[in-house]
Amino acid sequence: MLRKMSLAAWLMAMWGIAPAMAERTPSPPNAEAYIIWPADGTVIQGGKFWVRMGLRNMGVCPKGVKLPNVGHHHLLVDTDLPPLGEPIPSDRNHLHFGAGETEARLELPPGKHTLQMLLGDSDHVPHDPPVYSKKISIIVR
Amino acid sequence: MDKSFAAIAATAFFLFSQAAWAGSTPAPANAHLYIGYPNDGQVVPAGKPFRVWFGLRNMGVAPKDVKFPNTGHHHLLIDTELPPFDQEIPSDKNHLHFGAGETETQLELPPGKHTLQLLMGDDRHIPHNPPIYSKKITITVK
Repeated sequence: MLRKMSLAAWLMAMWGIAPAMAERTPSPPNAEAYIIWPADGTVIQGGKFWVRMGLRNMGVCPKGVKLPNVGHHHLLVDTDLPPLGEPIPSDRNHLHFGAGETEARLELPPGKHTLQMLLGDSDHVPHDPPVYSKKISIIVR
Repeated sequence: MDKSFAAIAATAFFLFSQAAWAGSTPAPANAHLYIGYPNDGQVVPAGKPFRVWFGLRNMGVAPKDVKFPNTGHHHLLIDTELPPFDQEIPSDKNHLHFGAGETETQLELPPGKHTLQLLMGDDRHIPHNPPIYSKKITITVK
């Protein structure tokens, strides 16, 4: 309850408009997005790898389709969570999987990188409450 | 070249014979379906649920009744063979449907050997052409 309240307060503070909240697609309260692979801290040789995107208590659905308790995956690479009240940007740091993909083929240069998942609704806007994974770090050699 | 000829031939065969060997929704030739967990041969403890991960590459997930190119929804076959590819996948305790776009589930099975296999179904629960299914794995619950 407290978490809900503070989230709402935070949202209000962020946009200063209540109506924007009402428009966001609700997510099931127990929904959980998580990166199945790689694990936090994994060292990857070569830089090409598949990211497996895990989702519990919610379903995957391509963009543009309005159904309850579904969304599509976005993978944030080397970036923080975007503003949660607007469509997720689409660029090389914000990869969209609007065709219902549950795995992503990535190629990253050597070094430290962060990965985080964020679900978007039929219009690419995060749900209310937003469904995102823990941000993990990996090292590409 | 050979491949596209084969595809055309297969399509022609399908159209002209109204063959009953596969559904009518096309699937990408490189689509790959696999069980991410448990592993083949794995022993899982009895009396508590275990998670099954549905792995899918080069294809997407869409809930039932949603028509979107190169997508389907998961079906988990338990202790059974692949059903006919030209009909709706049965819905019973050996054929679990994940029509809400789920990409994993929790199972609890009685002690003993069990087989698990995934099969994609289109918006109407009919396998694709070509049918997309995983390797059948065997696990032991004890």
